[in-house]
Amino acid sequence: MSHRTKYGRQGPGQSRQHRAATAVSASSASALARLGAVQERAHRGLIAAQNVDGGWGAVSAPPSETESTSLALLALSCSSTEKARGSVQNAKAWLLERQRADGSWPHSDAVPVSHWMTSLAVLALARSPEERPAAERGARWLLGQEGRGHSWLTRLLFRLFPEKKPVDLDWDLTGWPWMPDTFSWVEPTSYALLALKSLRAGLSDPRVEPRISEAERMILDRTCAEGGWNYGNSTVLGEELWPYPDTTALALMALQDRPRGDEIQHSLSALERMSEANDSILARSLAILAFQSYGRDVSALRTALVLQLENGDFPLETRAAAFAALALQMDANPLQLSRDA
Amino acid sequence: MPDRREFIRLGSAAGAGAVAAVSLPACRREEKRRWSDRAYRKAGSSKVAILPADSYEGDLRDVVTVGLRMFPLEIAGRRVVLKPNLVEFDPQGVINTHPALIGATIESLRTLGASEVVVAEGPGHRRDNEYLWRASGLAEMLSDTGTPYVDLNSDAVRPVRLASDFTGIGTLYLPQTILDADLLISMPKLKTHHWVGVTLSMKNLFGIVPGTVYGWPKNLLHWAGIGSSILDINASLEVPRFNLVDGIVGMEGNGPIQGSAKPSGVLVLGADPVAVDATCARLMNIDPSKVAYIREADAFLGNASAERIVQLGASLEAHQKDFRVLDAFENLKFDAMSFESRTAAG
Repeated sequence: MSHRTKYGRQGPGQSRQHRAATAVSASSASALARLGAVQERAHRGLIAAQNVDGGWGAVSAPPSETESTSLALLALSCSSTEKARGSVQNAKAWLLERQRADGSWPHSDAVPVSHWMTSLAVLALARSPEERPAAERGARWLLGQEGRGHSWLTRLLFRLFPEKKPVDLDWDLTGWPWMPDTFSWVEPTSYALLALKSLRAGLSDPRVEPRISEAERMILDRTCAEGGWNYGNSTVLGEELWPYPDTTALALMALQDRPRGDEIQHSLSALERMSEANDSILARSLAILAFQSYGRDVSALRTALVLQLENGDFPLETRAAAFAALALQMDANPLQLSRDA
Repeated sequence: MPDRREFIRLGSAAGAGAVAAVSLPACRREEKRRWSDRAYRKAGSSKVAILPADSYEGDLRDVVTVGLRMFPLEIAGRRVVLKPNLVEFDPQGVINTHPALIGATIESLRTLGASEVVVAEGPGHRRDNEYLWRASGLAEMLSDTGTPYVDLNSDAVRPVRLASDFTGIGTLYLPQTILDADLLISMPKLKTHHWVGVTLSMKNLFGIVPGTVYGWPKNLLHWAGIGSSILDINASLEVPRFNLVDGIVGMEGNGPIQGSAKPSGVLVLGADPVAVDATCARLMNIDPSKVAYIREADAFLGNASAERIVQLGASLEAHQKDFRVLDAFENLKFDAMSFESRTAAG
């Protein structure tokens, strides 16, 4: 009885593009021209996928939703073409029209509830001086949100019988949840940190620094044994969980302005290993953005991404397409935090 | 000293990664009925077929076609949505419904006249679809068979008022691809589950809950209670449904992700998800009446008791295997003596 067949156990490996990338000099004029062409194609693809209402759907079709619209806006903000500027204005209008009275953003028109995607809308609007007030209202809503913890009784029981804890983490550390009133997870916490850090200097709210500090500790507490992050646990029932490249890259970006101690280096090394094993466009793009935010040389990875995009279709998923467009950006990566933010 | 399940119950829900197993305390069940008339689907009896299938390499299409023909299913001219179990990828593991079985089912449904077949899933752990499709082998199968895939995590959604109230959630946003299907086929893997004992055709529908709305790993459902959420989701889906379980190689131990392969050599089919899951549990040497959510589902969603299940195909006893479970779930097993005598008789 076998599980191995034509389709089974394919497993990712190092791609042809990655191997080829090592043979291509990223600094050559032709490589730069190719990068520019692919980047332009990425921007054109995003513009073409924009819905008539100004937003983007998760794939190239309606309905528009906040995550995809925010990421596409971030990516197109880096382009200076006339078409991109028009697209950016329409995207901003889509977001501004949907901001809720409490400052948050909904998932979409179909799901009109305050949502984790608020962090992305804040991040996308924070760079624009005229939209900054809207971004700051969103940031203040974020400051009022936190992951739900266990009841005092459960905490007491886990304290008395620590060996019974199903997951090994510090229950007292709080970050941000996906949905209000649920547990804190690494990805929404990373986005919230990036959003708050991008507005840090202007918020003048006493909650900012304590929330940032606690969320950073929460993320570090959830680090997998081999470095990097799973969705939010490092172990379940005593079994170690393996890290994911996309979650790891986002967490590293959220921690980019912290002192780069051993724990960060450990996760950067884990991301390097994962980048060898997973060559999806999303994983590779996020790895580039994360390494770039730590000042690492990403030329080989970026060349591999260029080859990958030249040789295949652009991703249908807006999220992957937007991160790819951002990863092709040679400078002005909007996910890099400036020290005076 | 309280055991692990007691801790989870006392905690009322869960934290990370999981938890909040089954919040179905007996006292609450006695207080009032927690499902509406619209949720009641229990028939006088339910047919379940067990079909031997030793490997993913043979002509599975014929086996699936024989199985589908055992049931009065309306397939011709219908848009059929297949919902496999695609959660995560582990090169050493057997986490997902095998692509070869999904491909065979697509071909079978086309042979039987389906107007359209779509594969749809909202992976519970990974957001990187490209990686998951390629690593699992699903991408190649979809390409070979020319089959569209819908990511349920980011599909357009509509609010659905829940027909039962085990979670207290009230309304769930669910994907249009599922709600508009002419026929939804749940295709789980035969697996143990470290929070609720087993994960089969009912639990597989966690994958229809959209991650972009509720997060990963479908965290709202964990807080609301996994067993309770299984009941509410299954009670509230009004599309015609069928179930086809990949038991060719199952998973035992610390399922649904980190368990071990358990070759079982069967496909299990049926329209009643409770009857299918109860039969699968028995195939795993687990007493379905001890699995809280199956026991509760037996009251209104379908038939779990052996007396109400009409067994088709191969005999259950001949294919029963002793699936290893975590210590916390040893109490779910049939006793060893009874297992040996049944399998010997089979």
